[in-house]
Amino acid sequence: MLRDESIIVVANRILLFIVLAIVACPALAQQDTSHYQLQSVHVFGKPAEVYSAGSRVTTIDSAYLQTYTSSSLADALQARTPVYFKSYGVSGLSSVSFRGTNASQTAVLWNGLNIGLPTLGQSDFSTLPLSGFGDVSVQSGSAGATYGSGAIGGAVLLNSPTYTTKGFGLDLQQQFGAFEGNFTKSGLSCSDISSYFSNGRISYGNDKLQVGIGAYHKSAENDFMYKDLSRAGKPERTQDHAAQQQYGFTQDLTWQLTPGTKIGLHAWYTFTDRELQPAMGSASGAEQLDKNLRLLTQLQHDGNWGTTDVKLAYFKDFLNYTDDATNSVADVQTYQLQAEQTYTKGKNWSLRGGVNLQHFVAENDGYAQTEQENRAALFALFRYDPTQTIDLSLNLRQAFVTDYNPAPTPALGFNWKFYQQAQHQLFLKGNVSGSYRVPTLNDRFWVGAGNPTLKPEQGWSKEAGLRHLFIVGNTLLLETEATTYHMLVDDWIQWTEDETGRWRPINLQKVRAMGLELSQQLTATIGTLKLTGSAGYTYTSSEQVAVYEGQGDKGRQLMYVPRHKAVVATGLTYKNWQLHTDLNYTGLRYTTNSETRPLESFILINAALSKQLHLNQCKLILSLRTENITNTVYQTMAYRAMPPRGYTFSLRFIIP
Amino acid sequence: MKNTPLFRSFYLAVLLFTSTFVFTSCDSSDTEEPFSLSGKGVFIVNEGNFGTPNGSVSFYHKASSHFENDIFSKNNDDQLLGDVVQSMTLFEDHAYIVANNSNKIEVVEKQTFKSVGTIQGLKSPRYFAALNHNKGYVTEWVAFGGNGRVSVINLETNTVIKTIPVGAMPEQLILANGKLYVANSGGNTVSVINTATDVVENTFETPDSPSEFVQDKNNHIWVLCSGKVVYTDDWSAIDYTKTTPGALAKLNTTANAIETTYTFPSNQSIPKNLSVNGAGDKLYYTYLGKTYSQAVTATQLTSTVVLGRSFYGMEVDPETGNIYGSDNNNFSSDGTVFIYSPTGTKLQEFKAGIGPNGFVFN
Repeated sequence: MLRDESIIVVANRILLFIVLAIVACPALAQQDTSHYQLQSVHVFGKPAEVYSAGSRVTTIDSAYLQTYTSSSLADALQARTPVYFKSYGVSGLSSVSFRGTNASQTAVLWNGLNIGLPTLGQSDFSTLPLSGFGDVSVQSGSAGATYGSGAIGGAVLLNSPTYTTKGFGLDLQQQFGAFEGNFTKSGLSCSDISSYFSNGRISYGNDKLQVGIGAYHKSAENDFMYKDLSRAGKPERTQDHAAQQQYGFTQDLTWQLTPGTKIGLHAWYTFTDRELQPAMGSASGAEQLDKNLRLLTQLQHDGNWGTTDVKLAYFKDFLNYTDDATNSVADVQTYQLQAEQTYTKGKNWSLRGGVNLQHFVAENDGYAQTEQENRAALFALFRYDPTQTIDLSLNLRQAFVTDYNPAPTPALGFNWKFYQQAQHQLFLKGNVSGSYRVPTLNDRFWVGAGNPTLKPEQGWSKEAGLRHLFIVGNTLLLETEATTYHMLVDDWIQWTEDETGRWRPINLQKVRAMGLELSQQLTATIGTLKLTGSAGYTYTSSEQVAVYEGQGDKGRQLMYVPRHKAVVATGLTYKNWQLHTDLNYTGLRYTTNSETRPLESFILINAALSKQLHLNQCKLILSLRTENITNTVYQTMAYRAMPPRGYTFSLRFIIP
Repeated sequence: MKNTPLFRSFYLAVLLFTSTFVFTSCDSSDTEEPFSLSGKGVFIVNEGNFGTPNGSVSFYHKASSHFENDIFSKNNDDQLLGDVVQSMTLFEDHAYIVANNSNKIEVVEKQTFKSVGTIQGLKSPRYFAALNHNKGYVTEWVAFGGNGRVSVINLETNTVIKTIPVGAMPEQLILANGKLYVANSGGNTVSVINTATDVVENTFETPDSPSEFVQDKNNHIWVLCSGKVVYTDDWSAIDYTKTTPGALAKLNTTANAIETTYTFPSNQSIPKNLSVNGAGDKLYYTYLGKTYSQAVTATQLTSTVVLGRSFYGMEVDPETGNIYGSDNNNFSSDGTVFIYSPTGTKLQEFKAGIGPNGFVFN
C-alpha cells in the first residue's frame, strides 16, 4: 500500500469517528439524565451454573472484554484461562483443548443453545469475535447432563450483551494496529498500520424495552516478519498469506410484555474471509470464507408453577474452503427448540425440567446427499440446599438421536462451606458427571469414508476441590481454589487408514485425562486505587490407556496437550487511568502421540493502558495495547509462525 | 486463626498459592554422539503430516543395527526438511529429497546430509530420477486430478530447464535404454520421453492407474497398476461393479507396449509397494493385507505369502533380501519400521519419523 493512500485511510477513519462522536454527544446530552443510576442486572433465566454445584466455572472479567473487543474468543481464552488453543497461524482455525480432550469434545453454547457445527463437530474460535457477546464463562469437566452432546472436556458459555441503560446509548470505537517489525526506519508511519478495527453499538432502553444493535468491521494484513525455519539460513520473511477480513452485527431486544412475561430476540451474524496461513515452507493458496447467522427468540413467563422458558433458534453456517485443487462448500441449517420449566420452592430447592429438540439440514460437497438429522433430549436438573452451608445438585439427561442410542448421562455435585470464621471461609466441593458425544455428520456421511456404525463417545469425570475465601469488608477479596480431576473417555473417535487404504473414522482408544488446577483471584481497594488480580496454574496429564492398534502409544501424553499452563492477570484502576496486563505460560507440547517432536514452552505478555476522559455525560477512552511485549517466538500448532510484538491504539467514545 | 493479623493471613494465602508455581521442568535431553552415515545403511523416508513441514529422513545402520532420526535437521542447523516428503533418490554423491507440499527438492550430500542446494519452482513434485551428473527429471502432479508434467533439472545449477507435459498425476519414473518412462497414475498410460531431446515420443496404454516401476535382471520393466476407484452415482460409496482391480504388467521396452498383464483377483484392495530383490529375479508387493512375492519368470500371479501383513511403505534390501516395512500409526504417532528376514522372521522394530513411506538402500 502506498504511504499517501494509507494516511488518507487513517485520517478518514479518525475524522468519521470524530464527526459521529460530536454529532451524537450534544444530542444525547439533552436527555433527562435523572434515570442514569445503574439498574441491577436482571438475570435472564437462572444461569445453568446453579445446577452445577461443585464444578469449576471461570468467568472472563468484563474489563478484559471491554479492552479487547477486537480480539477473538480464542485469543481471550488463551490469555485468560487454562484452556489450550491450537491455532493454525494467526488467521487459521483455532481449536480448543479442555482438560486434555480435543476440540470436538468441547461444547460451545450461545444463550444456552449449542452452536457447534454438526458437520465438523466443533467451533472455530477464531471466527467468534469478543465484540459479539456480553459475557463469557468456561465450565471445566464433563457436563453432558447439562449441555448435551460434546461437553466431554468442558463447555464454553457465551451470552448476548445485556443492555440496562434508560434512553439512548452509543458506543463507538476505532482501532489501529501495527507490528513492530514492520516499522520503517524513521519510526512509525501510517503505511505501517496493518490492521483496522471499527466497532459501534447503539442502544435504547426504557422500563419495558431494551434494544441494542452492534456492528464491527476488522481487516488485518497480518504481514508480520518471522524467521522461516524451513529455509537454509532461516531468513526473516514477511508473512504473505494470512490476511483476513471480518465483519458482523448483533441485535438484541428484550421486551417486558407484562411484569411476569418477557420476550427476547437475539441475532448474531459473523462474516470471516481469510487467507489460511500455511506452515513455514508449505504450499500456500488456501482460503476460507465463513458466514454464520444465528437467530434466537426467547419467551420467559413467571407463573404459579414457576418460570417457563422457551427458546427457538435458527442457525445457518456456511463454509467455503478453496485451494489449488479444491472448492468445497458446507452449508448447514440448524433448527433448535428448548423448552424448560423451573420451579423454585423457598430458598431450599429448585427443579428444572425440559426438552431440547434439534433438526439439522446439512449440505456438503463431501456428502452423497443432503443429510437431515433429528436429535432430542429430555433433562431434569435438581438443586437442593439442605442447609445454608451445603448445596447439592443432581442432573439427568437422556438423548435420542436418529440411529443412535446414547446412554443416559447423570451428574451429581456438592459444595459444602465447612468452615467460616472471621474473614475466612472454606469450601469443599466435588462432582461426578457423565457425558457423551454423537459422531459428527462428517464422521458418518463423508463419501467413501463415513462410518454409520460408529458408537457415540462416552466420558466420565470426577473432580474434587477446596476453595478458600478471604474477605475484608469491601476492601479485599481473595479467592483461592484447588481442584483435581480424573476423566475417562471411551470409544474416542479417530480417523485412520483401513486395510484397503481408505481413511475412515473408528471407535478407538480409551483416553484418560487427570490433572490439577489451582487458581487465585484478588480484588482490593486501597484508597482510590483498585486492584484486581488473577492467577491460575493447571497440570494436565492426558494419555491413551487402551489402544486397539498394536502400534499405538500407550501411556504417553497426547499431542498438543501441555502438561503445564499458567496464566497471571492484573488490573489496576487509578482515577481515570487503567492498566491491564496478562501473562500466559504454556509448557512444552508434543506434536505426536509418541511424545516426540515437541514445541518449546513459551511466555506471552500483553498489556493495555487506557485513559478515560469525561466530556459532559460522555466518555472518551484512549487506549494503547501491546501484544507479545517480549517479542516471543512461539507456535501453538507446529511451524505456524505467530505474530511478534505489535501495538494497537484505540479511540472509544461512549454515551451512557 | 482468629487472632491472625490480616496481613499475615493474606501473606500466607499468597505464599501458599505462589509456591505451587515453583515447578521444575525436567526435560531430559540425551547427549548423543555424532552419528555416521557412512557404511551400509538404509535411509527411511518419513513423509510427515500433510500441511506441516515435519517430513524427515532417518538412517538405519545395518552393521550396528542402530538408527538415527531427523538426520536432515540434525545436520543442517535444525532447518526443517519439508511438507510431505514423498521420496528420495540417491545419485552419485548426492541424495535428492522430494518434498511434495513444499514444492521443492532438497539436494544433500549423501555422506553428511548437508544441504548443498534446493530445486525450486516445482508444483507438487513426486519422484526424481537422475540421468547423469548434469541432468535429472522430476514428476509433478501440478494440480490434483489435472494433467501433470515432468521437469528437466540441470543438476549443476539445480534449476528447472524445461517442463514436459505428460498425463494425469504422474507418479514413478524409470530410465531405461535412453528413455524415461513415466507412469500417469491418474489415467491408464505411460509416457515415454526421449532423454536426448526431452520430448514425449510415445504414449502407450496400460491397465488403470499405473503407479510404480521396477526393473528385473532381464532388464524387463514391471509396472504396478492400482486400478481405478469408481464411486456410485450418488457418491455414497465405492461402486465395486465399476471399480477395476489392480494389475501387475510387464513392459516391452522395444515395442513400447505392455507385453503381459496379470490382473489381481479382487478390486477391494489396491496393490502397492512393488519391489525387486537384489538378484532381480523376485518381485514383492502388498495386497489384501498381506505381502506376496513371485518369481519374475512366473506366468501368473503368485499365491506365495511372505508375510501375513501389509505395510504403508515396503522395500526389499537388495543386499540381504530382508524386508523393510512400515506402519504409519495414523500419522498421529511416530511411524514404526519393521525388519523381517527373507523367510518372514521379524528381526527388528523401531520408531522412525512420522509416516515412513519408503526405504532407500545405500
